[in-house]
Amino acid sequence: MAKAQRIDGRGGKRRDFLVGVARGIAGALLFALPMLMTMEMWELGFYIDRRKLLLLLLLNLPLLVVLAHRLGFEHTATWREAVRDTAAAYGIGIFTSAFFLALFGIIRFGMPLDETLGKIAIQSVPASIGALLGRSQLGGSGSEDSRDEEESGDDGQPLETGYATELFMMAIGALFIALNVAPTEEMILVSYKMTYWHALAAILVSIAMMHAFVYAMSFQGGHELSPHTPWWHALVRFTLPGYVVALAISLYALWTFERLSGAPPLTIAMAVIVLSLPGALGAAAARLIL
Amino acid sequence: MTSTRKGMNTEHDEPRIVEWIVGAGSTLLVTLLIGWITWEALTNEREPPAFVVRPLATEAVADGYRVEFSVENTAGSTAAAVVVHGDLETDGETERNDVTFDYVPARSQAKGAFFFTSDPRAGNLTIRAVSYTEP
Repeated sequence: MAKAQRIDGRGGKRRDFLVGVARGIAGALLFALPMLMTMEMWELGFYIDRRKLLLLLLLNLPLLVVLAHRLGFEHTATWREAVRDTAAAYGIGIFTSAFFLALFGIIRFGMPLDETLGKIAIQSVPASIGALLGRSQLGGSGSEDSRDEEESGDDGQPLETGYATELFMMAIGALFIALNVAPTEEMILVSYKMTYWHALAAILVSIAMMHAFVYAMSFQGGHELSPHTPWWHALVRFTLPGYVVALAISLYALWTFERLSGAPPLTIAMAVIVLSLPGALGAAAARLIL
Repeated sequence: MTSTRKGMNTEHDEPRIVEWIVGAGSTLLVTLLIGWITWEALTNEREPPAFVVRPLATEAVADGYRVEFSVENTAGSTAAAVVVHGDLETDGETERNDVTFDYVPARSQAKGAFFFTSDPRAGNLTIRAVSYTEP
C-alpha cells in the first residue's frame, strides 16, 4: 500500500492542488456571481472613491487571514499556512472576477485601465472570501496538507472559540451580505419607502431572527445553552452584540459604496437599519456555519 | 467562550467580564436606537416634499456657462424623480434646461448643474423644482 502511494505521490499532490484551485474557483463564483451581475457594482468600479476602495482591499487581507486560520484544514492551520491560503484565495478571487467580467463584456480592451482595475478590484473582495470558503468548507476532507491528522472537533476535546472570534465571524457574515445588498438601488429605495414604524419592526425582527436562528433551532452547529443559563444571558452576551456588529458593518458598507454622502443622521439610520436586516441574518448564519 | 462538542456549541456559564461589558454596551446602543426611532415615529410629521433651490456658482466653460445649484428637500418625506427647470431669459429669448434628480431624500440636499450658451449673469435666471413622484 505504502509503495503504491509513494509511486504516484507526486501526481497525487498535483491533482490535489488542481482540485483545490477548482474548488476555490467554484467557491468564488458561488459567492460572487450575483455581484458580478449587478449593475451597481460595475458602476462602483469607476466612481467609488479610490481611498475607500483601497481601505476595503486592505481590510480584506486580515479578514481572509483570520478566516483561513480558523477554517484551516481540520482547524489546526498555522498562521503561515493561513497567509498562504489567503494569497491563493485572493489570487483566485481576482482571476475569477476578471474572467467573468470580461466574459460579460463589462471590461474590454480599450477601456481606461483605471476603470477596468476598479471593476475587478471591487469584485475581488467577495470573490476572495468565496474562494477561501470553497477551498476549506465545501470540500470536506481535502488532502492538501498531509501534516494535519487529528480532527480536533471530533475526538472529545472541545474546540474553543474565543469571544472575539465569535464576533469576528459574525462580522464576516454580515459583511458578505452587506456587499451583496448595499450597492443596489432597491436597498436605498426600501429605506425611503419605510415609515419609522416599519423601521422599528425591522430592528425587532432582525434581533429576534438572529436569536432564534442560532439558539432555538437545533441546526448542526446551533448553540444549545447549558441548562443553568437564563435565556437572556445569550441575548445580551451574543445576540445583541451580534446585531451591533451587523449595524456597524452596514454603516461601513454604506459609507464605502457612497450611499451616505451628505445625508442627515436619520436617513443614514434608516438605511443602516434596512441593511442590517439581511446583515443580521448573515451574521447568524456565519456563526452557525463557521 | 464557546465549546464545540459533537457539532453542538455550548456556551459556558461562567462568562468572562468582557462578554458582559460588550453585552451591556450593545444593549445600551440597541435601546438607544430603538428609542430614537420610536421618538421619530411619534413626533415626526411626514409632510409632503417641499423644495428650496439655491444657485451656487456660475463659471464660464468651453462652450458656454455652467451654473451649479442645490435643491433642498425641507420636508420629512423623500421625493423621487425631481425635475428642476432652469430658465434663462436674455433679451426676450428664453433658454430652458432641465435636470432630473433620482432622489432627493428627506431633509437633504442634492446638487446639479446647467450648461447655458448665454451668460446667466447678463440675463434673468430662474431655477425651480417643478415636479416629483413618491419613491
